[in-house]
Amino acid sequence: MAQNHGLRILIATVRVPFVYGGAEVLAEGLCRALIEAGHRAEIVAIPFKWYPPERILDQMLACRLLDLSETVGVAVDRLIGLKFPAYLIPHPRKVIWMVHQHRQAYDLWQHPLNDLDRYANGADVRAAIQRADTELIAQAQGVFTISRNVALRMNRFCGLHATPLYHPPQMAGLFHTRAAEDFLYFPSRINPLKRQDLVLEALAQTRLPVKVYFSGPADEPAFERTCVALAQKKGCADRVQWLGPVSEEKKRDLYARSLGVLFPPIDEDYGYITLEAMLAHKPVITCTDSGGPLEFVVHHETGIVAEPTAEALAAAMDSLWEDWERARGWGDAGRQRYEDLNIDWNNVVEKLLQ
Amino acid sequence: MKILIATSCVPFIRGGAEILADSLRDALRAAGHEAELAAIPFKHYPPERIPDHMLACRLLDLTETCGVRIDRVIGLKFPAYLIPHPNKVIWLLHQHRTAYELWDHPRAGDLIHYANGPVIREAIHQADRELIPEAKAVYTLSQNVSGRLRRCSGIGSEPLYNPPAHAGLFYNRPAGDYLFFPSRITAVKRQWLAIQALAHCRERVRVRFAGGADSPMQQAECDNAVRELKLGDRVEWLGVVSEEQKRDLYANSLAVIFPPVDEDYGYITLEAMLSSKPVIACSDSGGPLEFIVDRKTGLVASPTPESLAQAMDALWVDRRCAAAMGEAGRARYEDLNISWKNVVEKLLC
Repeated sequence: MAQNHGLRILIATVRVPFVYGGAEVLAEGLCRALIEAGHRAEIVAIPFKWYPPERILDQMLACRLLDLSETVGVAVDRLIGLKFPAYLIPHPRKVIWMVHQHRQAYDLWQHPLNDLDRYANGADVRAAIQRADTELIAQAQGVFTISRNVALRMNRFCGLHATPLYHPPQMAGLFHTRAAEDFLYFPSRINPLKRQDLVLEALAQTRLPVKVYFSGPADEPAFERTCVALAQKKGCADRVQWLGPVSEEKKRDLYARSLGVLFPPIDEDYGYITLEAMLAHKPVITCTDSGGPLEFVVHHETGIVAEPTAEALAAAMDSLWEDWERARGWGDAGRQRYEDLNIDWNNVVEKLLQ
Repeated sequence: MKILIATSCVPFIRGGAEILADSLRDALRAAGHEAELAAIPFKHYPPERIPDHMLACRLLDLTETCGVRIDRVIGLKFPAYLIPHPNKVIWLLHQHRTAYELWDHPRAGDLIHYANGPVIREAIHQADRELIPEAKAVYTLSQNVSGRLRRCSGIGSEPLYNPPAHAGLFYNRPAGDYLFFPSRITAVKRQWLAIQALAHCRERVRVRFAGGADSPMQQAECDNAVRELKLGDRVEWLGVVSEEQKRDLYANSLAVIFPPVDEDYGYITLEAMLSSKPVIACSDSGGPLEFIVDRKTGLVASPTPESLAQAMDALWVDRRCAAAMGEAGRARYEDLNISWKNVVEKLLC
């Protein structure tokens, strides 16, 4: 470890301008953790736009053209690549901690939410992405992923092996719990992949007067409008609250006071929301196709894993709503599970710099 | 509006350009816009890396994000200002200087030493000539930068001044018995020239230097000169000082001395004016000359020890004149309308 002190480390990621989400939180958390461990660390964020498809190739090339080997004559000791295509930036001592690959070229190919496959050149661009990933990821000195889900996908599609490396949500120490109030909490960016619409469909089918509080910014304003209209149409608008973007403090308070947390995304890479719910002693309802959350939620021990249908989700919501005592027990068990998993930044830093 | 500030960054280095970019972002946000930085890493050696980075910038697409239009891109530094955008405005901090005015500079020149240097230089010139005019408007940091852009690339532009950080906090106190030289200690700022000038002063002029040395060697060179010229009791090295200390040192000085080589802009001149102090600069100092009115708000000397010494002596013996020049400098600052509000208005019109 001694020779690993005081390194100059760059974190290479991409940035979709004006969008701030989990990946940005992760990059900043890693940067802070490296600095706290005695290193100099900075984030290099390359702007990224993935449409039309030929722009992806342009930006892959742009990343390959950048030179982060040294700055003003002093070596950059380590490059940590996080997101496509920034993890393609060459460096002699590169480690990849994969947040996710370009999912539209992989697991989301021919998914209703995909757009890449709708373009004439979509298949060619997909092939180029897969070729670049397969050949260039393997050049890194170490390949880690943020979750088992991401590692499995990479193995399935590219035949590459990687080690999952879990990290804590932001300000993990500040989560707390309080007596449950009468709402389920769905804290997430409003985005089709997070399936706020599915929850509204389910809510319309619950037997009990379940209430849901949504918070989070709308990535795509059109989808938010769709959701609000859907609640109206389904007649459950009076059991829904749209809180919009809330402060971290307010978010922790909402977690603490909720009966349970709803988080049924499509094949989530990792999902801080599951971990935050566990930190707040709350059970989590998720779906069998939700990906990351399934690495943490134990069905009928720390939450409920439902089929991704409105009916199944409605049954899960009713099930939590009718037995608050059981919900509290699952929440406490979730907190215990979090403790058992040893999710902390020291571990991440140590592994990435090995 | 959604506005991206496109700039280049050298990892682990933070200087005036980074502060300016952050200040611009803050000013845009204060004016009610959504603003973010897009900072592209840049490494300028070996020379062939420069066209790589130019191409990388040309390949980026900042036209929209998640289907929402980005209304404006403001390009600041080479090569990030080459990123294409239909509504781009350039506020040029400087071009790649070693391909232009610093090409054959004895200390700063680097491209010139490589076999492919001339070819790369030509590629930079050509890209600037052809691509800078893609912008809807071209502003620069100063007349000095505009002059270079006109001479070297044949492109017209308008200087757009910005205030130093915390401009509102500068103040004035009765003059003490020292000249103040606040700046990074490095060859192009010419602390060494001020030391040689001290040896030629008729009066027992004293100078206090503040600022860190770019390298220990630069500080050692200055220290050696002071020792050889036996000026130890007339020179003081304060090193890095806090912003608060710096303002105090301005306020209590008799005058400010700032004689760099061809400075792009130079916040120090403006900070001196805000502190109601006269400024001594040289006829080849670039940016400061846009603000100093010779013999009204300061003195412009030739870049020789003798001439600089004369200017230092002149202020040292006539303290009333120095104070009056300082007041005139402050009045001139007010007249120039140097504010972020003005910058934001111009960049968005």
